[in-house]
Amino acid sequence: MSHPITERAGTTPSRSRAGGQFLSNLVAVYGLLFVFLLIMLLFGLLRPSSFFSTTNINAILVGQSVTAILALAEMIPLATKQFDLSIGYHLGMAQVLVVGLQVQHGLGWPESCVLILIGSLVAGFVNGLLVTRFGIDSFIATMGTGTLYYGVTNWYSNGEQIGGMDLPASFTNLSQIVHGVPLPAIYVGAIAVVLWVVTERLPVGRNLYVIGANVRAAELTGIDIRRHVTGAFVVSGLLSGFAGIVLGSVLQTGTPSVGPEYLLPAFAATLLGATSIKPGRVNVIGTLLSVLVLAFSFSGVQQLGAPFYLQYFFNGGILIVAVGLSVYATQRRRRAAAKPRTN
Amino acid sequence: MSDTTPAVEIRGLTKRFLGTLALDHIDLTIGRGEILALVGENGAGKSTLIKTLAGIHQPDEGEIRIDGVIVHPHAGNVPIAFVHQDLGLVNELSIGENVALVAGFPRIGGLISWSKVWSQAEAIYAGMGIAPPDPRAPVGSLSAASKAILGIARALSRQAKIVVLDEPTASLPGPDALHLFELLLRLRAGGASILYVSHRLNELFGLVDRVTVFRDGRHVRTSPIGSQTPETIVHDMLGRDLDIHHEPQAARSTAKPMLSIEGLCVGAQGPLSFSVGQGEVLGLVGLRGGGHEVIGRTIFGAQAQDAGAIRLAGEIIPPDLPIAGRIAKGIALLAGDRLVESAFPGMSLRENLFPNKTNLGGGLFTPISRSREHGQVRDLLERFDVRPRDAHALIDWLSGGNQQKVFVGRWLASDSRLFIMEEPTAGVDIGAKEIIHAILRDIAAAGAAVLIVSSDFEEVAVLCDRALVIGRGVVTAELAGGALNLENLLTRSSGGSGQTVQAH
Repeated sequence: MSHPITERAGTTPSRSRAGGQFLSNLVAVYGLLFVFLLIMLLFGLLRPSSFFSTTNINAILVGQSVTAILALAEMIPLATKQFDLSIGYHLGMAQVLVVGLQVQHGLGWPESCVLILIGSLVAGFVNGLLVTRFGIDSFIATMGTGTLYYGVTNWYSNGEQIGGMDLPASFTNLSQIVHGVPLPAIYVGAIAVVLWVVTERLPVGRNLYVIGANVRAAELTGIDIRRHVTGAFVVSGLLSGFAGIVLGSVLQTGTPSVGPEYLLPAFAATLLGATSIKPGRVNVIGTLLSVLVLAFSFSGVQQLGAPFYLQYFFNGGILIVAVGLSVYATQRRRRAAAKPRTN
Repeated sequence: MSDTTPAVEIRGLTKRFLGTLALDHIDLTIGRGEILALVGENGAGKSTLIKTLAGIHQPDEGEIRIDGVIVHPHAGNVPIAFVHQDLGLVNELSIGENVALVAGFPRIGGLISWSKVWSQAEAIYAGMGIAPPDPRAPVGSLSAASKAILGIARALSRQAKIVVLDEPTASLPGPDALHLFELLLRLRAGGASILYVSHRLNELFGLVDRVTVFRDGRHVRTSPIGSQTPETIVHDMLGRDLDIHHEPQAARSTAKPMLSIEGLCVGAQGPLSFSVGQGEVLGLVGLRGGGHEVIGRTIFGAQAQDAGAIRLAGEIIPPDLPIAGRIAKGIALLAGDRLVESAFPGMSLRENLFPNKTNLGGGLFTPISRSREHGQVRDLLERFDVRPRDAHALIDWLSGGNQQKVFVGRWLASDSRLFIMEEPTAGVDIGAKEIIHAILRDIAAAGAAVLIVSSDFEEVAVLCDRALVIGRGVVTAELAGGALNLENLLTRSSGGSGQTVQAH
C-alpha cells in the first residue's frame, strides 16, 4: 500500500523538501492508523482492565460488524459520487424480515436469507434504475426508497417487535464466537477482502472511481456509466440486506424501529476513511479503520462514564469532522506539488 | 461636447501582464452613429481592450474619453453596454426576468411589480423598433438569434449609446445573423456607436463603417471598410509573409480510406462527405459554431447522427453503436475541453493514462497486472517526456501541457486505427506541442488515420497533409499541398470566398 514519493524524479525537489513531503505523505496515508493506536494506548492506560478485556473487544467487534458491513455497502456507490441513504432502512427491513420469515412463516433460515438477499438485490437494482434511467438525484431517490422500506418494515411487523424465542440455534449461531473470534468479524473480513480486490485490482473498481472523478470524461473513455452505477447500488443493497441478516442473528428479535440509526455512523466511517490510506477517495481499509477508531473511542469514552446521549453528539460531530477532514485532505493533496512543479 | 467630439476616444492605452505588453499605446476613436469593426488573431489584444473598457483590467497608461470626458472604467460604471459571446442569459427564467436582471426589478412598496417587469421588457424592445416577444416566455424557448437580440436589448436597457459586441455571431446560423445586423444598422441610424469584434471577416462588409486591425497588442491600421478586402485584412492581421515550412505527405488520394463519411447530418448541419486515408493527417477547421466541432464527436458516438453513413476501413459503423463499441473498433477521441472531458482530478497519472482497462482488451473482472501496467505507464511518460515522471503523481499536479500529453498518451496504448484529436495542443507550451505533433505524425506513419479538429490554423498548416474548411456543416474548401497555409486557412474560413474551392 506504500506510495513511493517519486520513483524516478522528473524534476528533483530539494532534499529537505522531499523529506518534508515524505513525512506529510506518511501522515496523510497512515493518519487513521496512528489515531487508532493512540486511542488504544490512551484508553488502555486509563482503563487497562476493562478496555482490553475479551468481553469488551468482542462486544465491540460484534456490535460494529453490522456498522462495518453497512459502511462498506455505502462505500461502493460513494466511489461513483452517488449517495445511498436507504441502507439504514434497508438494514432494518432485512432484520425484521429474517426473524419474521422464520418465526411467523415457518421458513428455515437458509430460505429466509436467500429470499432476503434476492429482495435486496432487486431493491438495489431499483435504486440504480431510479438514478441512472430516470435521472433522479441519488440523494432523493434513495431517501424515497429508504422510507418505503421503512413502511414495509412497519407494515410487515405491524410496528411491533417480533419475538425470536423460536429462532433455531443454527441461525443465532451465525453471530456466535468461535475459537475466540466472533463470526460477524469474519464476515466483515471476507467482504473487505473481496471489495479490496475489486476496488484496487480489478478494472471494474477503477472504473467506479473514474466515474466518481469525472462522469463526462469517464463516458468518453467508453465506460458504461449506467451499468456501473446500477451495479454499485446493487452491491450496496446486497450488503445492506446481509448486514440485516447478521443484525437479526445478533439481536434475536425483529425490531421495526432498528435500522435508521445505523446510517449516520456508517456514513461517517466511510467518509472518515477517505482521509487515509488512499487520501481523497473512499477505500476499504480506511473505512474499516474508521469503524474501529469510532467504535473504540466511543467505547473508551463510555467507560470513562459518559452518558448514553453522548453517542449522538459523537456521531454527528464525527460526521462533520470526517467530511471536513476529507475535503481538506483532498484539496491539500491536489495542490501539494502544484506550486513548485512547473515546466 | 459637440457633435464633432467622438463618442469614444482612446489615447495611448497600455496594459502589461507580467512584463508582456498586451496593449501597446493604443489609439482608437469611435464616432457617433458609427460601427467600428475590431479584428485580430487570438492574443492580438482585442479581449484585453474590451476588458479594460469594461473595467475588469486597470490600464497602466493612457486615457479613455467618452463624449470628451475622461472616464475610469475600473473605478465605476461607464455608459457602455457590453454583449459578450456567451450572452449570460438564464434559460430557465422568462425574458422579462432576464431583462430585469440587468435593468433592475421595478418595485412598488419594496415588492417586485411583475406587471412592470413585463412592460419594462416590452418597452425596451419597442425602443429598438422590434416587435417584443411575450416577456413571460422562458428564454430557453428563443432561437439563437432572438437570444442574441435579447442580449443586446438587455445591455441597452441602461440607456447606453455605446455598445461593444464581442463575437455576437459566433454561434449564429447565417440567416439569423442577418436579423442581428438589421438591429445593429437600426441602432446606428439612431446615433449609437458600436464596437464590433468578429472573426468572420466577410460579414463586416456591408455592416461596419471602418475596420481596425490589432496585432500583438498594437494598433496596425484603421481604414474605411470600402478600401479593404478580406485578403488585405488578413495580411494586416498576420503582418508578415508566411514562411512556415511544411512538407505535406504525397497525395493520399490513392491511399485506401480509413474513414469515409457519406452525407452525415447532425441537427441542422450537413450533409457532409469526406474521407481520410490510411497514414493521412487531415485537419478540420472552421469558425466556432461552424459545425466542425461535432464531427469528431459524432464519429466517436458521443453525439447522435441524424443521417448519413460512417465507414471505418469500409465497414459501416451502426449509428446506435455506443462509445465502447467504437473504441473496440479502433476509434479514439481526444476531447477538446481538457478539464471537463479528459481529466480525472484527484487520480494518479497511472489511472489517468488507463482509466478504462477494458479498452486494452480483457474484461471488467480481469485482474490488473501491476507490474505490466507500471511498465506501460513508464514507457508512455518517457515517450511523452511527462514531468514529473512519476506514475503516482496526481494529474492535478501537472501543468496543462503535461496533462495534455497524458491524455494523448491514453489512446496510444490501445490499438486504434482512427485518432480524432480535438484541439490537441490548446494551451500547451511550444515544447509539448512539438512532442505531441511528432507523435501524431508517427501514428499516421504507422498506418492509422489522424483527424485534427482545431481552431489553431497554424497547427493545422504545420501538422496536416490536407485540411477541410467546414461551414454550416458542409465542406466549403479543401486545402492541400502548397495551398495548405495559414493565409489560405484564415481567408477561406473567414468566408473570404463563399463558394467551394479546390486548391492544390
